[in-house]
Amino acid sequence: MKQINALLALSVLSLVFFSSCKKDDPKEPVIPNEEEVITTLNLTLTPVGGGTPVEFKFKDLDGDGGNPPVISVGKLDTNTQYTGSIALFNELESPADTITLEVEEEADEHQFFFESTANGLTVAYDDADDNGKPLGIATTITTQGASTGTLTITLRHEPIKDAAGVSMGDITNAGGETDIEVTFDVGIE
Amino acid sequence: MWALSKRALLYLFTCIIPGLIFAQQCPWNVTGSVKDMSTGIPITNAHVYVKEASLKDVTDSLGLFTIGAVCEGNYHLAISHVGCESQELFLSISGDTSILIFLDHHGQLLNEVAILDQWENPSTEESHSLHSDHMAKYSNKNLATMLEDISGVRTLKNGSGIAKPVVHGLYGNRLTILNNGIAQGGQQWGADHSPEIDPLLANKITVIKGVSALEYMGNSLGSVVLVEPKRIGKEPHLHGEGRYFFESNGLGNGLHLALQQSHKSFAWQAVGTLKKSGDKRTADYFLKNTGNEEAHLALQVEKSWSKKWLSRLYFSSFNANFGVLRGSHIGNLTDLKSALERDVPFYTKDKFSYAIGAPYQKVNHHLLKLQTNYSQGDKESLDISYAQQINLRKEFDVRRSGRSDMPAMSLRQVSSFLEAKYRRALAHHWSFKSGVQLNRVDNSNLPETGILPLIPNYLTYEYGAFGMATKSMKRTTIQIGGRYDFEQRKVAAISNGVPRRVIRHEKEYQAMSAMGGMRHEFNKAWNMSYNLGFATRNPEVNELYSNGLHQGVSGIEEGDPELNKEVSLKHTWSLKGDIKGKLFFEGLFYYQNIDDYIFINPQDEVRLTIRGAFPVFKYEQTDARLMGFDVTATYQASEQMYFKGSYSYLDGYDRKHQMPLVYMPSNHLKGSFNYQIPSLGKFHNVEFQVNSRYVFEQTNLLPSQDFVAPPAGYHLLGLKISGERQLRKLRLVSFIRMENLGNVAYRDYLNRQRYFADDLGFNLLAGFNLKF
Repeated sequence: MKQINALLALSVLSLVFFSSCKKDDPKEPVIPNEEEVITTLNLTLTPVGGGTPVEFKFKDLDGDGGNPPVISVGKLDTNTQYTGSIALFNELESPADTITLEVEEEADEHQFFFESTANGLTVAYDDADDNGKPLGIATTITTQGASTGTLTITLRHEPIKDAAGVSMGDITNAGGETDIEVTFDVGIE
Repeated sequence: MWALSKRALLYLFTCIIPGLIFAQQCPWNVTGSVKDMSTGIPITNAHVYVKEASLKDVTDSLGLFTIGAVCEGNYHLAISHVGCESQELFLSISGDTSILIFLDHHGQLLNEVAILDQWENPSTEESHSLHSDHMAKYSNKNLATMLEDISGVRTLKNGSGIAKPVVHGLYGNRLTILNNGIAQGGQQWGADHSPEIDPLLANKITVIKGVSALEYMGNSLGSVVLVEPKRIGKEPHLHGEGRYFFESNGLGNGLHLALQQSHKSFAWQAVGTLKKSGDKRTADYFLKNTGNEEAHLALQVEKSWSKKWLSRLYFSSFNANFGVLRGSHIGNLTDLKSALERDVPFYTKDKFSYAIGAPYQKVNHHLLKLQTNYSQGDKESLDISYAQQINLRKEFDVRRSGRSDMPAMSLRQVSSFLEAKYRRALAHHWSFKSGVQLNRVDNSNLPETGILPLIPNYLTYEYGAFGMATKSMKRTTIQIGGRYDFEQRKVAAISNGVPRRVIRHEKEYQAMSAMGGMRHEFNKAWNMSYNLGFATRNPEVNELYSNGLHQGVSGIEEGDPELNKEVSLKHTWSLKGDIKGKLFFEGLFYYQNIDDYIFINPQDEVRLTIRGAFPVFKYEQTDARLMGFDVTATYQASEQMYFKGSYSYLDGYDRKHQMPLVYMPSNHLKGSFNYQIPSLGKFHNVEFQVNSRYVFEQTNLLPSQDFVAPPAGYHLLGLKISGERQLRKLRLVSFIRMENLGNVAYRDYLNRQRYFADDLGFNLLAGFNLKF
């Protein structure tokens, strides 16, 4: 008798199994709230003596895939000192999320690096984390003679800020993950 | 082993010589002989121990033993011999008793023909097994690294704790792993996803180096790994074993406990494992964040309703956290390049730590299986199984603003499986086996990541049926079979473009597989087998729909929804035998063509994102050819000493583009010297082994096929000493092992961490196994 019970239990189980097959669909995907994505980097350079700010923009609204990013650059003047300021946004969110705040909050875990191939263009850090190590949201950018080249801005997450040269803005020993790496064409006239 | 003890018991009962009973007197003799199961040759120096009476003897040159002055009563007998799996028998003594015991002696020298379970006929396909006595001495290893001891099996690793088995160059979706007869669910597509099975819950792990896995639903293109749980013995008393090990590299500790008891019609077993280890060390530095934490459990209940009906309930739970090397977490190609230029990875610390932080994987896998079996001796048997698996995988990355505590990937897969199998013995030595199977897989992303999922939600129904016929004659076995599968898959993905929306796909696949094989015994010493199999594999969801950045390798991977199924035709040919019982030889050659082989191909395109430029990889199809051989030779120099050597060769070739295939194991050479001492002080069955492994550089690869040239070949030396002791009712097996004796700094082509760090340095292990 018992074996018949066992068989019965099994067939009930299989019935449950089969009946669940009807009009079965995968779970409806939940479109995630991608609050961590950085879509936009703006570098605003304001001449120290006053004047019209110069804007460098990198915007990739759909993240890694899809459409290519939109890059716009401004022209720099020769022999000028600029106050540089970086702003990061997530424009997937509406209204756009200011990611710069997150970076400021975790200043000790972040650092921007600037590498330029344009002659005479130098970048100096104007801000620091709680340990006195540079962050790079605020900078002073100085130009000399006329030149062209590129400016690469890198944001590293969890860099090794104590490593040799890192606090001087040398990325070589920094390590960490790259959160941002954008390259702008620079013209100094 | 079960079949064996059954046989031994049979002999036992037929050989009992009835005698007169004297209460509380001890006049009885237990005599017997111990023989080799395959050759029938008497085994010398086997230890026979009557546990309750603390009496023992060692077999003489004729394999005979005599134990005198045994009282009337119930006894447990332990029979052991160097290199054999020890046996236990339960005896009721009420007179002079004579028994014949068979031990499986040459298992270490030559692998046996697979007998998958007691109803099964020997297969024509080649298989190799690891048994529990082996596992007891390697209990620190995971499923894949344990299997590496089998020739032709390698592992694809992601650091030290995460490893997948690779058989004849195939892994992941192309290799089916069966846990207690159920195809392992979960995210097997991931090259950095270990199979979620604790090998210590198993009694036996078998690799079938096959041509087509007709009996099993799944994606196998030939080979299968079978993990079989411990069988509950027929013992009426509570029995069990406990294991402990310590390893110096990673300061790892492991504990394993198994308990079982059998009543008249009801039997139970409970098995559990706990493991913890911290940062591993290479020859020169610690690997930060490479610790593991594991806790596994299995429960088994058996109830026989009558002589013919038996039901089994099996539950297993796998739970683990695997740390991933901190220095291997990179953001873009620049990071990868700077990691490649370094000898020592970023974040390397001078201090050891048990801490596991991001990046890490948290994996849970639960299996429930209900099986009912009807069998009428060897004549016919019917098997109905239902299984449910739940697989949870969460992967944590280093993220901004405290989001490291949020998984970057969180997947849940629920699969339900129903199967009916029927076997029947027919006239003229034929036997027939067939079955129907149904599998439902529901895979979904849990919305807790805040990241676009790498693979979409999907729901799959698979229906399959197979039939196989075997003719076993005296010297020849012939096998032939076919299989049909139908798969229906519904997918709901999220678009890559904005605004994000849900895209749906629906696909149906049909597949046929077939195999034929033959095994022939020329004489007692030599046999050969040939197998030919045709199999297909449907493209997996990651190959079809993945779209996005693959962090570990810094590339954008794009699936192709239009991919076709892979079609494989594989030949295997094996020859094995021995010369005068001294020199044992075993060779397996294989040749496999896979049409529409799916692989990931680097594109000329570089994609610009805010994190920099990334190379683009697309899943494409080509025609592949895998060809290779595994050969093993053993020389039994004397009763106590043997040498063993094996070599595995594999050539993976892309026939369409006329270039090598990536991620193919390089060739490797293994050798060992073994010396066995029957008795040494209080220990017996003492075994001493020096082993050596040379892994060749993977030279079969073009420079354009990887970021960096494959690492150089390497040579590792190891040492193992083990011994056994009988402590009244307890049987103690203890071991000391040393791995990478020379503390060699090396990197392996099949370890994905090779871009960042060296492989493991010296490791000293010690442990014991107590059986009661």
